[in-house]
Amino acid sequence: MPGLLKIYKVSLLIIVALMLIYAFQGYYPEFISFFSNAFPPLIAGATVIISGFSLGKYWHRAGEQFSIVWLCFTCGLFLWFMGEATWAGYTLILGVELPYPSVADIFWVSGYIPFLIALLLYVKIFSPAISWKMFLASMLTTLGLAIFVSAALITPILGVEEDVVTMAMDFAYPLLDIALFSVAFLGLLIFWKGNLGKSWLLINVAILLDVCADMLFGYATAQGTYYSGHVADLIFDLSYLFFLLAFYVHAKEF
Amino acid sequence: MAKKRVAFKEALIEAVDEGLLMLGESGRDVVYFHLQHSYGLRKESIPDNPEIFIDCLRKIFGLGAQVIEKSIVKVLCRKLEIEYVEVKNHTFARYLNDIKSAVEVKD
Repeated sequence: MPGLLKIYKVSLLIIVALMLIYAFQGYYPEFISFFSNAFPPLIAGATVIISGFSLGKYWHRAGEQFSIVWLCFTCGLFLWFMGEATWAGYTLILGVELPYPSVADIFWVSGYIPFLIALLLYVKIFSPAISWKMFLASMLTTLGLAIFVSAALITPILGVEEDVVTMAMDFAYPLLDIALFSVAFLGLLIFWKGNLGKSWLLINVAILLDVCADMLFGYATAQGTYYSGHVADLIFDLSYLFFLLAFYVHAKEF
Repeated sequence: MAKKRVAFKEALIEAVDEGLLMLGESGRDVVYFHLQHSYGLRKESIPDNPEIFIDCLRKIFGLGAQVIEKSIVKVLCRKLEIEYVEVKNHTFARYLNDIKSAVEVKD
């Protein structure tokens, strides 16, 4: 499909450009500080727009499950966009260096709810296709990931003096990502052999990138080593890009 | 016999219509759109080319197509007043043949 090849090429260019911008940040510290706070609302906003197009395509009426799925995806992404915009407002307008935890976190955490509902409803439609083997594979992968994340974060986060809310947030984000992954991975197994498999693969990659970014962010803030332009920021941007691609590919393939 | 064949075809078209509703009306329209634009098959021609229809579903949904296939077979059985019996590893075409035979025996 030529349209898809084009978007893959453009995405690859954006990924390379983002990596270069972050890799050579030592040469332009002020710019990277601005860029790492200003770019996320843009890419998150673009993702909401693409998801909104899909909502327009699949929406029929409120009672229809597939319509609700796309409404929930768009709501979740919109709340994440609001989180990014609020963070940018704190850092770029109010001059707060590290607004964490803040109102932005309310938006981010709230965004997980409709997103998880969307994934659950989508996978539920096709749940009879899930065999015990698939279910077990998904549960074992999720469990392994949860153990890895918890083990990697427990010592660095519990070992420092942080307030309870911050500590809870440090663990909540990666664990919420894993909750999304547990359902998205089932979706990938169901649709793997079909054209929709591409879209579900991209969703899974985006969620795994979020797991990495949230772990790095939690670790860096706990250790006091986080700064605007941290590698976690790059991974967050890449995650949004993969979500954008996933929804674009979904609308193109189905 | 010809009358029966027409009735079966009509029931299958209706069953496909209803079975695909699990994707919602918009999802169903998208499947029909793909069927017509990628395979040159209109929904009225599905009973004559069920393998093309199934190929289209599997190309889009992968394993998920099985769920839609099963849903269509169940609706078809209900419409033709035949008991739905699930048989492991039965293909959609095989189910259709079984249902056709069952209808003939019944009448």
